[in-house]
Amino acid sequence: MTQTALDTAARAAGGRVIAALAARYRDLDLAEDAFAEACLRAARTWPERGEPRDAAAWLYRVADRAALDMLRRRNTRNRIKPDAPEPVPSAEDIMSDDELRIPDERLRLIFVCCHPALSRDARVALTLRMVCALTTEEIAQAFLVSATTMAQRIVRAKSKIAEARIPFEIPGRDAWPARLDSVLSTLEVAYASAHADAAGAGHNAGFATEILELTRVLVELLPDQDEALALAALVRYAEARRPARLDDTGAMAPLSEQDPAQWNRPLIDQAEDYLRRAADLGPSGPRTLQAAIHSAWCARRTVMDPLPWRIVLSLYDALLMLRDDPIVRLNRAVALAEIDGPEAALSDVDALDGALLADFPPYHAVRADLLARLGRRAEARAAYDAVMSLPAPPAEQLWLERKRSALAV
Amino acid sequence: MQYALLIYQDEAVAGLEPGSAALTAIVGRHMAFSGELGPKRIGGSGLKTTQSATTVRTQGGARSVHDGPFAETREQLGGFYLIEAADLDEAIAIAGNVPLAGNGAIEIRPLLGPG
Repeated sequence: MTQTALDTAARAAGGRVIAALAARYRDLDLAEDAFAEACLRAARTWPERGEPRDAAAWLYRVADRAALDMLRRRNTRNRIKPDAPEPVPSAEDIMSDDELRIPDERLRLIFVCCHPALSRDARVALTLRMVCALTTEEIAQAFLVSATTMAQRIVRAKSKIAEARIPFEIPGRDAWPARLDSVLSTLEVAYASAHADAAGAGHNAGFATEILELTRVLVELLPDQDEALALAALVRYAEARRPARLDDTGAMAPLSEQDPAQWNRPLIDQAEDYLRRAADLGPSGPRTLQAAIHSAWCARRTVMDPLPWRIVLSLYDALLMLRDDPIVRLNRAVALAEIDGPEAALSDVDALDGALLADFPPYHAVRADLLARLGRRAEARAAYDAVMSLPAPPAEQLWLERKRSALAV
Repeated sequence: MQYALLIYQDEAVAGLEPGSAALTAIVGRHMAFSGELGPKRIGGSGLKTTQSATTVRTQGGARSVHDGPFAETREQLGGFYLIEAADLDEAIAIAGNVPLAGNGAIEIRPLLGPG
C-alpha cells in the first residue's frame, strides 16, 4: 500500500520537485539523481514510520538535502553558485513539515528544456522527462523509438545544456516572441502525441493530463500572452472530446459524427474561458484562431445542432492569412467540401504538394473521401490503400477499413 | 564563459576581393562591432579566402598536405570572434549582431577549459 502511495506521490510531485531542484542547482542530472534518492529513502522509511501527511513536501525536502550532499561529495570547484540554501531541517521537520511550499520553478525549467538551441525532438523529450517526470521508456513508446535511442537523445540534450551553458532563467520579455513560440510548439507536439491514439488508452493518454496542467501553469505565470492562453484552450477542447472519439465498435468517430452530449462540458467551459481571455488581448494569433475553430465545434450540445462548417471555413480563411501551410489548406478543404461541394475541395487538395504530404495520413484520407463522394471509386480505393499502408492506431485502421469496404467493387 | 563565434559565408557571393569597396565596408562594420563588444571581445580575426587554405590531414598516423579547405562547402569559414558571455543566450544575442555581407551563418561554440 505504501509502495502505491509512494508511486502516486512521486508521479504527482516529481515534475515540480525536480524543477525546483534543477532551478536551484542549475543541474538537471543532479536534480534527477537527488529526487531518485529521495524516493529510495521514502521506500525505506515510510513503511516503518508511516507516510508523511504531505508526501510532496517530504520528497522535496529530502531530495534537496540529498542534492546538497551530492554536491559536497562531488568535491568539485563549484563554479555556479546555487540560490541561497535553506536551513538544514531536523528529522522532526522532515516528518512534520507539511506547510512547506515547493517553489514552482516549472516555467523556468520549461524555458530551459524548450531552448531553440536544442533540436525539436530533444525539446519534446526533455520537457516530458524533466517537467512532466515521465520515464524514458514512456517517452520512447510515445515517439515509437527504442528506449536506448530516447535515453541517448535525452543525455545529448542535457549535456548540450551544460556545455553550451543554456541559462536556467526565464528569458527577458524582448526575447519572448521567439522563445515562447518554441515552448508552445513543443507542448503542441507533446500533446499531439498524447492525443494521437483515438482510443485514448495506454501511456500516451496519461500524459495528456500533464500537458493540460503545464498549460495551466504557463498561463498563470504569463497571463497576458494570448497564444499561451489559446494553447491552454486548444488542448482542453481536444481533451474534452476524448470520451466521444470512439464509436460503439471501437472505430474512430470523426468530429462531425461525434455525439456532443458525451463531451466533457466542464473542460469545454474552461477552454472557452481561456479563449475569451486570449481574444480580449487583441488581434488573434494562429493558435487563437485554431482554438476558435474548436470552440465552434464545441458549441454543439446535441447531435441535432447544425454542423458549424460555414464558421469553420471562414476561420480557416483567416488562419491561412497568418499561417499558410499545407496542413491548414488541407483542413480548409474539408470545410470547403461541405459548403462548395467535393469538386472544389478536391481541386484545392490536388493543388497541394503530394510528395511533401505522402507520409501524412490525413492527406490520403481526405482525398479518398472526396473522390468517393464524387463517385470516382477506383481512385478513392487507391487513396484508402495509400493511407492504410501508413502506420496508424487500431481505431483509425478500423475506421479506414470500413470506409474502404463501403467502396467494394 | 568563453565562446567562439565562427562566421560562415559564401565567399564568392560576398565579393570580398582585396581592395574592393565591399571589403572596405565590411571591415569598417567589424571594427565598429569590435568597439561595441569592448572587453567582451577576447580575440578574433578575419580569414583570407579558402583559395589560400592548406589542409594537413592525418590518417592512420600518416600525414599528408592538401591544397584547399578541409571540406568543400557552400559557405566557408571567413573569420571568427572569441567572446566572453554570461551564457548561451548572451552569446546568441551577440552573434545576431555580427556583421555579414549578405547571407551567412554564425556558429557558436563554447570553448573548452575552465571557462
